[in-house]
Amino acid sequence: MARASIKLLVLLGALLATAVLSLHVGGRADVGISQFFSLLSNSGERTLQELVMLDIRMPRTVVAILTGINLAIAGVILQAITRNALASPSILGINQGAALGMTLAVLLPSVFVVGVEAMAIIGALLAGTLTFGFSGGFRGSIRPLPLVLSGVAVGAFSFAMVRFTFTLDDEVARDVILWTTGDISGVRWHDTTALSLWAFGGILAAMLIAHKLNLLAMGEAAAQGVGADPRKTLLIGAVIAAGLTGVSVATAGPMAFVGLVVPHLCRIVVGADHRRLLPAAAVGGAVLLLFADGLSKLVVAPEEVPVGVIAALIGAPYFVYQALFSKELDL
Amino acid sequence: MGNRRFLSSLAAAGFALLSLGGIAQARDVQHELGTTNVPDEPKRIVVLEFSFIDSLAAVGVAPVGLTDDNKPERITEQYRAIIGNDFVSVGTRKSPSLEMIASLQPDLIIADKTRHSSAYKSLSAIAPTIVLDSLTGDYHSALEQAQVIGDAIGKSEEMKARVAAHTARFESVKANVANAKKEGRTFQFGVVSSRGLYLHAPHSYNGSLLMALGLPLSLSAEGAGVSYESAYVKTSLEQLSEINPGVLLLGRYSENTVTDQWKDEPLYKAVTAVKEEQVYYVSGHNWARLRGIVASELTFDELEAALAKVAEKTGK
Amino acid sequence: MSSVVSRGTRAPSLRLAIIFTTLVIAVAMSSLWGLSVGAFPLSFQVVINSLLDLDGPQQTYMVMVSRLPRLVLALLCGAALAISGVIIQGIVRNPLASPKIIGINSGAAFAVCLLLALLPQVALVHMPLIAALGGALAAFLVLVGAQFRGVSPLRLALVGVAVGMLFDSGVDFYLVANHSPEQAAPMVWLTGSLWARSWEHVDAVWALLCVLIIVGYGLTHQLDLIGLGDDMATSLGQRVALTRLLLLGIATLLASISVGVVGVLGFVGLMAPHMAAQLVGGRARVQLPCAALLGMLLVILADAVGRAIAPPIEVSAGVLTALFGAPFFVLLMLKNRGDLQQ
Repeated sequence: MARASIKLLVLLGALLATAVLSLHVGGRADVGISQFFSLLSNSGERTLQELVMLDIRMPRTVVAILTGINLAIAGVILQAITRNALASPSILGINQGAALGMTLAVLLPSVFVVGVEAMAIIGALLAGTLTFGFSGGFRGSIRPLPLVLSGVAVGAFSFAMVRFTFTLDDEVARDVILWTTGDISGVRWHDTTALSLWAFGGILAAMLIAHKLNLLAMGEAAAQGVGADPRKTLLIGAVIAAGLTGVSVATAGPMAFVGLVVPHLCRIVVGADHRRLLPAAAVGGAVLLLFADGLSKLVVAPEEVPVGVIAALIGAPYFVYQALFSKELDL
Repeated sequence: MGNRRFLSSLAAAGFALLSLGGIAQARDVQHELGTTNVPDEPKRIVVLEFSFIDSLAAVGVAPVGLTDDNKPERITEQYRAIIGNDFVSVGTRKSPSLEMIASLQPDLIIADKTRHSSAYKSLSAIAPTIVLDSLTGDYHSALEQAQVIGDAIGKSEEMKARVAAHTARFESVKANVANAKKEGRTFQFGVVSSRGLYLHAPHSYNGSLLMALGLPLSLSAEGAGVSYESAYVKTSLEQLSEINPGVLLLGRYSENTVTDQWKDEPLYKAVTAVKEEQVYYVSGHNWARLRGIVASELTFDELEAALAKVAEKTGK
Repeated sequence: MSSVVSRGTRAPSLRLAIIFTTLVIAVAMSSLWGLSVGAFPLSFQVVINSLLDLDGPQQTYMVMVSRLPRLVLALLCGAALAISGVIIQGIVRNPLASPKIIGINSGAAFAVCLLLALLPQVALVHMPLIAALGGALAAFLVLVGAQFRGVSPLRLALVGVAVGMLFDSGVDFYLVANHSPEQAAPMVWLTGSLWARSWEHVDAVWALLCVLIIVGYGLTHQLDLIGLGDDMATSLGQRVALTRLLLLGIATLLASISVGVVGVLGFVGLMAPHMAAQLVGGRARVQLPCAALLGMLLVILADAVGRAIAPPIEVSAGVLTALFGAPFFVLLMLKNRGDLQQ
């Protein structure tokens, strides 16, 4: 019990530290974490610096937290219901599909009238469903090899289309790159509503089915043995994961590796029990994206890099490491 | 480095003219990728960047083929008034159709270093090709390139006269700038789209143009002590408030831009240019895509109009 | 025994003859069509006159200088990618594998970005070489990495995907840190297009590709043995690890040279081998040449359609191969459910 509370403290400490980092750095040098505290104490007229903290830094940090939570929870659920540690938005081609949807909306706004955000969700869902289908997901268990290869194929298709825009207008290419690399530098409070509703509901629902996820992860036979209907859990899980991913992609753009790396790391730390894994992954996802957000404002300061690119640069080496050394993936 | 090369090519071309005593003969033109033997007074010229159209138009020469990105409106009326409409589009600037170019049977092709270096050999197989640095070049190099083009098409003298006239205009604008009431304002040009605001840094074409005119650039290295690596800086609202331009010249690339989305935010309203109503929308196309003598004179017009308004508002 | 074998193979050999003849004719016809379409359409008569230097109207530049080298490159690279795909699918033992999974495409793009970032003044004529080297290097890293843990198909695919994603994130970083995609104009080279390819590029790669294709064909028997599984292959006297490395080396070179010279033509290395397996079965000795012909056909058609669709704009061949691939893929999923599971 003591060890568990130490782990909890470490996680919360990391969350606090990265949140401070994310709030403290930014375009204006005269705005820092002190404005956050003066906002709390000052009830009168707000200074410009305090307004920067309130209107720009805080919503951006909140979006980073919520996106991290949503993607990590979605990753945990996907991995449980597919009984596959590789199931995640980047491997399933979901991110690339979202990028393709966005690219089409930028390229042909008169054809895809629903807007870039909606096209991101449509692209993500379509790509995920296709990968799922190709790898045999609709007929039961998904084996890792077909899953990886289908994800690559679906991703490669989207990739060809996205890169094609490079041969077109400079301005189109510039917009496409920004949409598809996970840029949250323009978010405001109104962008946080849907994200927070889904994050709240997602955690709650996932915790409610956490026990069933445990059973499902053990295998369908075991689940049926104790009287749980695996198909129901599978359906509920898939809906939650799709919604969490969709709302994140629509607000923040595709973020690679959060849904892959965070659940894996958290499983090492807190074990495979979903009642502990889910909250741990939620915190872990938030920490990863907060850290990436802080870095994204620092690496080429005074300019900024989209947070999704930084998250990918952090996540990809870990994935390489995982691919080389993990026994878990060698199913 | 680029400057020296262009100067030496100028010198070489001048020397060639002197020694030949004006006898009609092919000449060597030095450019970014080497030396090309160009026929005397080429008649059928294909150009693959907007600034090259500008240079031809500056001395009243019409190209037979040009790149308009398949959007005819990108060749503005100011150019059409000089070069007419009897040219053929050879496609986009990024990947022009080599077959269209060949079918025009040109005797000179002018290509851009960044975009077309990889196709230099294929282009040279069609016609003598010279390669200049339009895309990443600044205002000064644009003028030098105009003279190289003038020399290459056998219109050295005309181009010299045109550049001189342009320089006179430039100096008068510069004098206006010096006399205008600016009250210590910094100036900044940028383009806005629905996705972002891009400020043009000191070493970009527009940045260098404003600096040459003696306008203090908000992004200039002196001041905050930061330097901008990119020519175009994607700027968030927070960065904009830190840069805090005194006058903001914006070119629109789309209907609903980020600056429209920001207009009710306190931080945007606190930017000096916004607070004191010194935001002017200019033609993004003329400023940011077009370059060269004719284009920069269009820029001067809009700039002088903006300066007049700056003075008027400051005078109150 | 021999009578059984001969009876068993006679009918298929007629079938094989018909399939191969049809494919050769299709490649020839589409080549001729490819030579005739573009921003400046030509009649077949003019094309043939120019090719054979006959009397009558000719368009020597269009046919001999602009389109023929592109056609030759399409033939070579189409075959190279398809063969690379056959080998990789054989080794991974899964019809969903393709040259992309060993990181070649991402490595090539990353190498070009690195070149642009570090040496912006460098002559871009070396770009194909840099791209090919980058692709080969990435694949080499993947192979060594996977070898290091004892190659299993899953391990190879995973390491390949991971390394590919690592390089892709590097490319994205370059693109966004610049904020100016126009400075990445040379990247257009890698979008899978035959724009501005000339005899110079053909000269640079044809001999190498031909040698690799022949060597690859020579190793088809070994490939079939590996397909039986490591244990079976070893018991039949094969040094599995060595042969696999050799085959992967050939597949790597074929694919990375193609990427260097024509950019990323997605799906050719995936579709062609699979279609070939459907037509002539999975024996490498017949599947490989059949896939090569199909690969040629795909790339020729993609290039020609891309030129014909909206001149003077050229639609990248890479986009068209992906578009051809999409319905094929859905069909594959609906029709052949069992195959993918293996």
